[in-house]
Amino acid sequence: MKYAKVYFDDVMVGDELPPLVKGPVQQIQLTRYAGASADFNPIHQDDEFARAAGMGGVFAHGMLSMGFVAQALTDWAGAGSVRKLGVRFAALVRLKDVVTCRGRVVARSSKDDVNLVELEVWAENQKAEKVVTGRATVILPART
Amino acid sequence: MPISISKALIGKEYPPYPVTVERGKIKEFARAIGDLNPFYLDDRVGAASEWRDLIAPPTFAITFRDETADTGSMLRDLGTDISRILHGEQEFELFRPLQPGQTYLCRAKIVDIYEKSGRSGPMAFVVRETTITDRTNEVVAAMRHITIVRL
Repeated sequence: MKYAKVYFDDVMVGDELPPLVKGPVQQIQLTRYAGASADFNPIHQDDEFARAAGMGGVFAHGMLSMGFVAQALTDWAGAGSVRKLGVRFAALVRLKDVVTCRGRVVARSSKDDVNLVELEVWAENQKAEKVVTGRATVILPART
Repeated sequence: MPISISKALIGKEYPPYPVTVERGKIKEFARAIGDLNPFYLDDRVGAASEWRDLIAPPTFAITFRDETADTGSMLRDLGTDISRILHGEQEFELFRPLQPGQTYLCRAKIVDIYEKSGRSGPMAFVVRETTITDRTNEVVAAMRHITIVRL
């Protein structure tokens, strides 16, 4: 069930995030994301510009893919649960790519009544190439 | 012809700039990602939540731009242009969710510049950190942004 509540007590190292499948990425989404984020770099909009820049055509904002990864986290752990998210943009996401966001719990700890779960997160395209890799920390409630 | 990037910019602090978060902007941002979480989009769900209003998605602070401190101004400082840059890495630390109607102060600083050779040739990595504080000067969020300049 989407947005089901996850408790710290029930999470174990090695647990995997439910995969989140996004896309296929369309130009209209890149235009929409440009407006929403005020990142109007033409490299994400104008194929001729992107080719002239040596990028072989338009590609998605890295931040859009990071937004997908953040969604995979909050769909599972809840809105407002993300304490830290850091990623590297490992490969370009192109138009028509399908991006699947995944994650795995690598550590859990409690300090001063704050329950932290650390995850390795990544996103891959339809060829199973990693396009985003990173780490995240979420705060989860304990069962009382 | 390869360009060169001056390391003299390491340590440069940009003038602090305020950002007031608009309710509609949070919704627009969440929808652009295709993230329809009701805590970002439904005013009634927000009002009934522990935060008493909508909250922004985790990556929302990327929208906190200002012409004196944004990527464009950094590119002018570096002497390069937008066709040469790529987003290398990004990190957010969130101590509290960002919320509509709130005004935050952003302080951006270039903390490192280094060069490496990649598959597509020499590249400079420009590391920028932005601290986001609320009206009481409490740190609400921090961002670390690595821009790659293809030299």
